[in-house]
Amino acid sequence: MELLKVENVSKSFAKHKALDDVSLSIPRGSVYGLLGPNGAGKTTLIRIINRITAPDSGTIYLNGKPLQPEDVTRIGYLPEERGLYKNMKVGEQALYFAQLKGLSRRDATARLKKWFTHFGIQGWWDKKVTELSKGMAQKVQFIVTILHEPELLIFDEPFSGFDPINANLLKEEIMKLRDNGATVIFSTHNMASVEEVCDHITLINKSKNILSGKVDEIRHAHGNNIFEVDFRGSREELTAALTDKCTLLESNDENSVYNSLKIHIPDDGGVKSIISLINDTVEIRSFHEVIPSMNDIFIKAVAGQL
Amino acid sequence: MSKISIIAGREFNERVRKKSFIITTILMPVFFVGLIVVMALMMNFQQEEEKQITVLDKSGMVAPKLQNSGDLIFSTSESSFEELTAEKQDDLYGILVIGENVIENPKNVQFYTYESSTINIEKSITDQIENILEEEKLKSYNIENLPQILAEIETPVSMQVSQITETGETKAVSNMVNIAIAYLFGLMIYMVVFLYGNMVMQGVIEEKSNKVLEVMVSSVKPFQLMMGKILGIAAVAVLQFVIWVVFIVGVGGALMNVFAGDMIEAAAAMQSGMPMDMTNMAMDADMASVINTITDPGYLIRIFGGFLIFFIGGYLLYSAMFAAVGSAVDNEKDTQNLQLPISIPLILALVVMVNAMQDPNGQLAFWFSMIPFTSPVVMMARLPYGVPDWQLWLSIVLLFITFVGMVWLAGKIYRVGIFMYGKKPTLKELIKWSRYKV
Repeated sequence: MELLKVENVSKSFAKHKALDDVSLSIPRGSVYGLLGPNGAGKTTLIRIINRITAPDSGTIYLNGKPLQPEDVTRIGYLPEERGLYKNMKVGEQALYFAQLKGLSRRDATARLKKWFTHFGIQGWWDKKVTELSKGMAQKVQFIVTILHEPELLIFDEPFSGFDPINANLLKEEIMKLRDNGATVIFSTHNMASVEEVCDHITLINKSKNILSGKVDEIRHAHGNNIFEVDFRGSREELTAALTDKCTLLESNDENSVYNSLKIHIPDDGGVKSIISLINDTVEIRSFHEVIPSMNDIFIKAVAGQL
Repeated sequence: MSKISIIAGREFNERVRKKSFIITTILMPVFFVGLIVVMALMMNFQQEEEKQITVLDKSGMVAPKLQNSGDLIFSTSESSFEELTAEKQDDLYGILVIGENVIENPKNVQFYTYESSTINIEKSITDQIENILEEEKLKSYNIENLPQILAEIETPVSMQVSQITETGETKAVSNMVNIAIAYLFGLMIYMVVFLYGNMVMQGVIEEKSNKVLEVMVSSVKPFQLMMGKILGIAAVAVLQFVIWVVFIVGVGGALMNVFAGDMIEAAAAMQSGMPMDMTNMAMDADMASVINTITDPGYLIRIFGGFLIFFIGGYLLYSAMFAAVGSAVDNEKDTQNLQLPISIPLILALVVMVNAMQDPNGQLAFWFSMIPFTSPVVMMARLPYGVPDWQLWLSIVLLFITFVGMVWLAGKIYRVGIFMYGKKPTLKELIKWSRYKV
């Protein structure tokens, strides 16, 4: 069941088309990656979902019903450009944003205390934002975004500006939120994080949706029948045995006891027979398909080579 | 609690706690008192340069009787005009040429100056010449004891001005006080509208450049944001105004008790028609009407109430425009050309205000006190003199209707403007934005 559905959405600005007939469907309880190069139209789409701007045509459905103005309180949005009032105290500011999200002052205070303790930042309550580092300010902003426990969370480049430790902390929190039933939209260029956290992705390039689906399926679908074998035994014998059956791509350091070899098996090449051939020649330590990384797929897709 | 009130509450709390608020609240009255003192001093000690005027009197009648007045110093000369002008003498201001037949032809008087002359100087000279010529003409009638008669008939008149109230009582009024109040409050509206309007604009620019708006707009509508900011700052302004009024009334009242206790008694005595000490009459009549005017509760309510209403209306109207400008730019430097359309009506209002103080019920004053963009300042200048109720209410209604319309328009510009970065928009573009469907 999908939580959010974007149907044939187009949006033009004075000089260019930001979104061209984009459709996508975000399953409930998923972490959904919204990928694309700079200027592809991701932020415009997010703003339309947030009802900051209206589409020229097309509809957004939340839980099967067209998105209503009140629905924004069910969305938590962490924009790419982090913004806090510089001269306001952290605690007061967090309270202010929480109240604007519809929480009562008491609720908001209780929840904030809990989160501040959880992140180990109780001591920041009375500090001014100017005294915080960029990463610290982003932690505060993250808390403010999720505080009202929205059904749908939208993170625009959430890890930028975080050190690896804090990025991990954030990643864990995002996974926890998903496990507790929230749906997460995740806009990023960071492909490593996409593979780690996203279940589904949509790739937007030049205002169009050019690739959508489950991360696993996409990666497997773009496999090029390349396999990697780790073995123990004579490299010469193996290469000699395989030369006629498939293409040899590369091999590693020849002096090592353990060898590995990448091979390309044609579609009709018969993986099974090749495995038994290898098995006859050398001792197999592992044999697996080389699945392209999201990074490779992203670059190829944007370059138009898919 | 509605979102607008949450936003307004933040604006209010943040600003009231700032040091700058406390400082301006204390310093503004001090500044105003200082300004008044400086102006008074300047008027008293105005020492202008002496202006040397050489008189070529062909009639021989006028020059001997010309008296040095103020900074004008007259001296006669037998040289011809050509000789005098052939070479410029140092510190010679001008040459006054009086024709031979000036009695028959009073238009035969010329005044040549090296610098531009002023109306005051010209009037002072013509007045003197007129008096001299009139005197000469009187002499030609050969009346006996003429100087004595003239001295006897000279009668300076001192008029005490009163206004008849609705209940039929008469009240002494002081136009001196009216002018002072009109000027002070008109100027104050002009200043606070600019001051607080700018505060709104800077607030919007700050939120835009901090990217706070990006976070906010997912939870509130841009319109709520704008209204919250405008109303929050309005509350700051009202608080500041109330503090000032308390300060002025408190300090003024205390001063009055110390220095003018007996004058208030005198004023009260005059009000009740009791005869006053004749020797002090002339001076006290003026003072008494001043005190009567500024201690009249009806008058004070009209002035302070009017100020509050027109200040709030004017502020709301202009702050909506300031908010629209703030939303359109990335930093304060870019606001200048967009601020021009806001400043022009305000400055125009100030110009009309000066005129309205002299002719508070004239056509110009009437129309500009109805036009919402100028009415707050101009109406303030008319108010001390008394304005018909229907005009007052019409002006207030027009002001607030225009405010609503302006907020609607500014809201549309604001909504588009806050997401426009890196552009220096023109006024034309702003108007185009207001028609965008967002």
